[in-house]
Amino acid sequence: MELFGIWVAAFLTLCIYSFLYRDNPFYRFAEHLFVGISVGYGIVIAIHQGVIPLAWQPLSEAVSALWTEITGETTPEIRSALWGLFKIIPIAFGLLFFARLSPRHNWLVRYPIAILIGFGAGIAIPNMLQANIFEQTRATIEPFGAIGPFVDVPPEARLSALDIFGAILMVIGVICTLTYFFFSVEHRGPINWLSKVGIAFLMIGFGAAFGNTVMGRLALMIHRVGFLINEWIGSFGALF
Amino acid sequence: MKRQVPLALCFLFGIAMILTQFSPHSYSQAVYREVIVWGLIISPFALVLAVATLAQTHVSRIRFRSEHWQYSIVVFVGMITMVCVGVPFGPKNSVFEWLYDNVQVPMDATMFSLLAFFIASAAFRAFRARAFEATLLLIAAMIVMLGNVPVGDLFWNKLLSLIPGSDNPESWVNSFADGASRFRQWILDIPNGAARRGIILGVSLGVISQSIRIILGIERSYLGGGD
Repeated sequence: MELFGIWVAAFLTLCIYSFLYRDNPFYRFAEHLFVGISVGYGIVIAIHQGVIPLAWQPLSEAVSALWTEITGETTPEIRSALWGLFKIIPIAFGLLFFARLSPRHNWLVRYPIAILIGFGAGIAIPNMLQANIFEQTRATIEPFGAIGPFVDVPPEARLSALDIFGAILMVIGVICTLTYFFFSVEHRGPINWLSKVGIAFLMIGFGAAFGNTVMGRLALMIHRVGFLINEWIGSFGALF
Repeated sequence: MKRQVPLALCFLFGIAMILTQFSPHSYSQAVYREVIVWGLIISPFALVLAVATLAQTHVSRIRFRSEHWQYSIVVFVGMITMVCVGVPFGPKNSVFEWLYDNVQVPMDATMFSLLAFFIASAAFRAFRARAFEATLLLIAAMIVMLGNVPVGDLFWNKLLSLIPGSDNPESWVNSFADGASRFRQWILDIPNGAARRGIILGVSLGVISQSIRIILGIERSYLGGGD
């Protein structure tokens, strides 16, 4: 089975790489299979890691607890399991997504969408404030607390000249980048200069992101070619 | 009913999430955890929309015998196979794991690795040092790429060895050894970090303002058209 798996993986890998020559039936087959397999995988994970543990299990436990409660054998554990009945509400809202399939009732799909949008917006505000604004600002300013001799820090914790230069450059870069995205005032005079420096920082950032992306993709390619050479061609001996 | 109730639900859930996050009371935290679970229960159902749209597209391709319609059958075969194996037996099932390890993961990795060729060819055509900004981008990308591979440091150290006195271990020249990878790390940490931090701060302020607009019902585009 393992050998068969290696051959299947190698065949599909070669099907996809055949696109480097030109579009062909082998590539189209692999491309469509990939879409189908990925969607199927998403469905399975959504059901087994979302619907079943969060909705189905608490609800079925609550229903059996309700039956025990009715028959009169109640305990505190059974009472707390009854809270699972409230899972009917989100399940009902979730099922409203199926209203999309009926042209007459498809407005009902707005209910679960509105809940998810409100939920996302509500969770985003405190998290963005905490993680992205306060923490990022703190991390930008914090290194200045370790610059001696003006601040009382032990000599071994003091920043080197290069670190101080980096900390100052970081502050300049953040301010200039933010200025570039500040469209409430016309970019003229000093604002224009700050914004131009911001563009320079952005370009270095995009270049670094590009370089990292290329290297990441090349690492994947090396891994795939390594698989073909070591595992697939290496498996020829087991066959012939 | 068709627009007011969704707006009210959006407001209610948005405010509930904000208030409960700022309140450390045990009841408030219990509500917060429960609302998160509600969100996690509702969101998988959204997959219904995605699957329905995908199925609609491919069924119509098969029905009208559009160009390459045969491959739409392959989409359904892949999807149905995964669902039939994974839903009743779970993701820990050996057949499901075999399909994941030998079909999905290799294709996923190969698809992404394919982009290496296209990025490289696009970069070759697009990367011209025509302006100062384009030159900065080009130089930063080159340094990051060279600093990522051992040959970058090898080349740098070879250049350093040409400086007179570099063969002395105590020479100042040796403090610049492995400069390609160190300079790459400095670019990633400082100029790239500053640009990313600026973008993150800007995006976060935008997300917060947009979230307030959504919760207050000023932004309603998610409700779609119609009455």
